[in-house]
Amino acid sequence: MNRVISALFWCALALVIAFIALPIVVVFAASLSPTGDVTFRPWEWTVKWYFDLASERWLGPFWLSVKIAIVVSVVSGAIGTVAAYVVAYEKFAGSEVVMAALLSPLSVPQIVKGVAVVLFLSVIGLQPLLGTPALIAGHCVLALPFVVRMVATSIANFDCNLFRAGQILGANQWQRIRFILLPAIKPGVLSGVTFAFIISFNNIPLSVFLVRPGETTLPITVINYLEYSLDPVMAAVNVASMAFILIVIFSFEKLGGFSAQLHGGSK
Amino acid sequence: MTIIALEMPGKPRVFARGWIRFLGLSPATCLLVFFFALPMGMMIGMSFHNPSSQGVSLLSYSRFFTDGLSLLGFWRTTLMSSLVAISATLLAYPVAYYLARSRGRWRSIVFAIALAPELAGVVLRTYGWLIILEDRGFINDVLLHAGLISSPLPLSKNLFAVVIGLTHVVLPFAILSLTTSIQGIDDNLERAAQILGAPRHAVVWHILLPLSVPGLISSFLLSFTMAASAYATPALLGGASFKVLATMISEQVLFYIDWSFAAVMANALLILMLVISYAGIRFEAGCRQKYQSVAGGMK
Repeated sequence: MNRVISALFWCALALVIAFIALPIVVVFAASLSPTGDVTFRPWEWTVKWYFDLASERWLGPFWLSVKIAIVVSVVSGAIGTVAAYVVAYEKFAGSEVVMAALLSPLSVPQIVKGVAVVLFLSVIGLQPLLGTPALIAGHCVLALPFVVRMVATSIANFDCNLFRAGQILGANQWQRIRFILLPAIKPGVLSGVTFAFIISFNNIPLSVFLVRPGETTLPITVINYLEYSLDPVMAAVNVASMAFILIVIFSFEKLGGFSAQLHGGSK
Repeated sequence: MTIIALEMPGKPRVFARGWIRFLGLSPATCLLVFFFALPMGMMIGMSFHNPSSQGVSLLSYSRFFTDGLSLLGFWRTTLMSSLVAISATLLAYPVAYYLARSRGRWRSIVFAIALAPELAGVVLRTYGWLIILEDRGFINDVLLHAGLISSPLPLSKNLFAVVIGLTHVVLPFAILSLTTSIQGIDDNLERAAQILGAPRHAVVWHILLPLSVPGLISSFLLSFTMAASAYATPALLGGASFKVLATMISEQVLFYIDWSFAAVMANALLILMLVISYAGIRFEAGCRQKYQSVAGGMK
């Protein structure tokens, strides 16, 4: 009986892992498909679809997505860090309410936020903002709660005796921020910024309302194509954008992001 | 007491003056007011707007409840999200148990595989399922060639496909949430039962599962809310023949340009989400209370 139970457990584990890996492996295989249809012939493959990516059709949306993601991570990283510092460190009457308000966008589905923003802009006559400006602002609203939460966690671990030490050693306000606070909360800020970048770069439910013809982000371009065709170029686009995201994450990780945050913030 | 007295006066601040605090909060506040709070308020107001007479009315709400399609969409959203939540929680359990209880190199490999899909993005995974499930896709291709079926099985553009796709999307979060809660179960209890001669299935049935109930329920609720608000996966795998609230909302905005009705449907989705998250918060608070009273009783 015990053997049966553990055999069942290992089988279940293996099946779930296979289920998780399956679509990703399939897309990777499809991007190497030798014919215009998506076919699987392990002994015959080509990388020609990746060369097709170097065209304006894909590079345009890709650069737009990258630009938006960079602006979003810088802006939401900066304003989120300052807000998290004020709320989590300089606690004041009502700071918990402010914290809840800063995190509140999380409890609203993205698609509802998208409808609300596009409706608001059209009613007050600011449709020209649709496209890049609206995408940046909308993605910042999505990313802000993540930045605030991660920076707030780092600040909760921050030892304020370090500030006292700095004060005693004669550091002025800006030196204390530059050389004490910022290095201590760096892991939180970096993971927040990484999250902001990924959220913005991969976003669909909000972007679908805010893009306009000629200014479409990469994921929106991809789903618009997917409704009509499944050709291997799509697989190549997806694999390439996943590779790009991985590179971004690893570079932030090198600067000291996620693992440092997981291993206890400032400690 | 002395510690408190020492801490109180001297918490060093960077910004000594109160007004700087508000300066620090103002960019975030402006962003949230103009691109979140005001739009949300206007959307809720818009749902009471009568498109033809420009007055206040419940017309769009009555349309939501009488026109069969939108209620069908609401029902489909609930059904789909429940099925996704159940299957994601069940699939996540073995992985979460493994991650919570084992150590070593294999653990980090399983952890990486479990979370990798999150980095791949929703489009890539949905595209993978499209290739597998389509009429001319992988499964149908194999079955047709083997001569087991004469016409393709209807595997895509229906509830089945959407549930598979969304389960895959939600799974990493279910795994993370269950892992945390299984880690909270004292593994000495399992060991004690084993030492006392309980067979493995009795340990699972009488110790592990009852103690996992809170974790299972919070993973269910988390997966439910994520599935109900998903957009890209139902749009691609459900298509025009399986529309849920999220896809119907985007259709109202992008094709029919009916703000008022879109706002009503968005409100319906929002209320569904809030009810489920509220249930989750109440449930977790209840669990904590129960745990504390048990712990208090033991002392």
